[in-house]
Amino acid sequence: MNYLKYFNELLSNTFSKNDNIYVYGQNVATGSCLSGLTRNLELTKNSIIANTPNSENSLVGIGFGAMLRGINAVFCMKQQDFLLLGLDHLVNTNNILRNDDIKGSFTIICIVEDGGFEGPQSASNNLSDFASFGRIECYSMTNSSDTKAIVENNMIRPGFKIFGISQRLLSNDLIQINGIKNGGQNKYFQYYKGSAVTILCFNFSFVYGKILYDKFIEKNISASLFSINTFISFNYSEIIKDITNTKNYVIIDDSKSANLLCYELINSIYDFCDINKKLIIKREFTEDYYFPRSDTLEIDYEGVVNSFTK
Amino acid sequence: MNTKLNNEIIKNVLKIRISQILINEIIKKGELKIPIHLGLGHESIATAVDHIMGENDSLFLSHRNMHYNIAKTDSVKKEIDEYYLKSTGMASARLGSMNLSNKEKGIPYASSILGNNLSVATGYALGNSILLENCITIVVTGDGAIEEGSFYESLLFQKSNSLPVITIVENNEWSLGSKIDERRCDIDLEKMNDSLSIPYKNLNNNNPYDYIDELYMIKNYVLDKKMPFCVEVDIKTLGYWYEIQPEYPNGKFINYHSGKAPEITFDNNPIIENSKFDPVFVLQDIIGEELLMSLYKETATKLIDEIA
Repeated sequence: MNYLKYFNELLSNTFSKNDNIYVYGQNVATGSCLSGLTRNLELTKNSIIANTPNSENSLVGIGFGAMLRGINAVFCMKQQDFLLLGLDHLVNTNNILRNDDIKGSFTIICIVEDGGFEGPQSASNNLSDFASFGRIECYSMTNSSDTKAIVENNMIRPGFKIFGISQRLLSNDLIQINGIKNGGQNKYFQYYKGSAVTILCFNFSFVYGKILYDKFIEKNISASLFSINTFISFNYSEIIKDITNTKNYVIIDDSKSANLLCYELINSIYDFCDINKKLIIKREFTEDYYFPRSDTLEIDYEGVVNSFTK
Repeated sequence: MNTKLNNEIIKNVLKIRISQILINEIIKKGELKIPIHLGLGHESIATAVDHIMGENDSLFLSHRNMHYNIAKTDSVKKEIDEYYLKSTGMASARLGSMNLSNKEKGIPYASSILGNNLSVATGYALGNSILLENCITIVVTGDGAIEEGSFYESLLFQKSNSLPVITIVENNEWSLGSKIDERRCDIDLEKMNDSLSIPYKNLNNNNPYDYIDELYMIKNYVLDKKMPFCVEVDIKTLGYWYEIQPEYPNGKFINYHSGKAPEITFDNNPIIENSKFDPVFVLQDIIGEELLMSLYKETATKLIDEIA
């Protein structure tokens, strides 16, 4: 099963257990149904799926209005880039309604365009910047475990949130993995606990982190593996505890944002841990940063593993 | 509906007028930290909207929302307390003026961002249609906010989804310190709405009885036809003044966007301008000076007692 099919089934299953759902967006009810994301959804009482005009600014406001009325609004959009048109509501409308006694929910599911080669205007994969702008509850998800927990626990919960799913992962085989810890109510997940190195994956980096984890294991290096699925500060104590134990860590962050949540975590690590070895793998800003180029974060896995064996 | 000589309607117009004049006195003393946008001259449409709203109808406001909030509130003091940011305020000092809403009275939301409330109201109306509620949503905007793309986007969505929304455009010709002809070409709202097959009505005589009758007809129409409606109201925001400046020896017209109206004072005359642009002057024409003054004194006394 590919990731897209898995996500589609999770949506359908969640919608089938809740009433008053309004699934909307461009191309969600006809055509490709966002490449299959919203196809054949099982809807119950008073629930609707409907195509809309191309009006992203208003479509975000409409979701907030429907939520205010007690509806569970779900705006599915093809590309996160277009969400920039709705920034007024993401920040200003949310700032009013976040303090209101809200019974409904509003979730934006956006496909984060990180497949690469799109050009200057479809190059933003910065879910973290949306989160930062309005202190918005945003979640990235990449595998069977975090996706299931985040969709099932957060989708219909009252209030507003954004779910980001990665374009480059959609048609890939689903990464089947069981988490051993769901931390901070779906804010981070731990998949393995080791004693020699801690791997921390931000944004959509889990796919890289899992490969790196396997490489460490091949070399008989015991590793912990975490994904951090949110973008605003949370209680890092469990992660700090793991790093205190391993004294070595690798951070992978594939976001293009200039303000990375991992910087804050790094500060906390400095405060609390004696570190032997650290490595931060992130994007370096280059002259062709916004040209149509590959979006893949190039990692020398062997080199990384070897650097921890010296 | 026969609304002729309904004293409650007259009293509501006067309540909105007097409350604003009293609030203006507070602004003049410099006692408020938050920005205040008076709606002097906007009393007739606010009264009419208040009058036609049923229990399940909803009203979405903009930053200049004082006249509607006063029309609907049972306690002007609570509204003033909110302006003072007191915990006894209408929203417990959480909203201030530009975002002041009052859910209990059918005002779920007010926005200080031009055009922002249009789509939120549209989503709310959509929610009502999903929940099969037979009610209307009213959203108030202005001649400045219709320049935003969200105005067109919201009308398009309302029409596409058969939503009973009444969009009220208060056209006072001003956006901040610029008149329409100082900032843009003319917009023919009737033609613009016609392009989406949305009916349109212009209201311009400031007669609250006429406005109520018109809005009742429009309400019944949008509920019956399941479609949006656009109402443009010609308004003059009163309280402007002429300032003598070296290059304007006869005085430069100052349209205040927010803050005090320095030449408006609380006295024995509630009329600001002897023209059809002053709803209280229009009322006097309808009911006569004697009844107007009698109701004015009664309403003013009650308000002063409450606020004190």
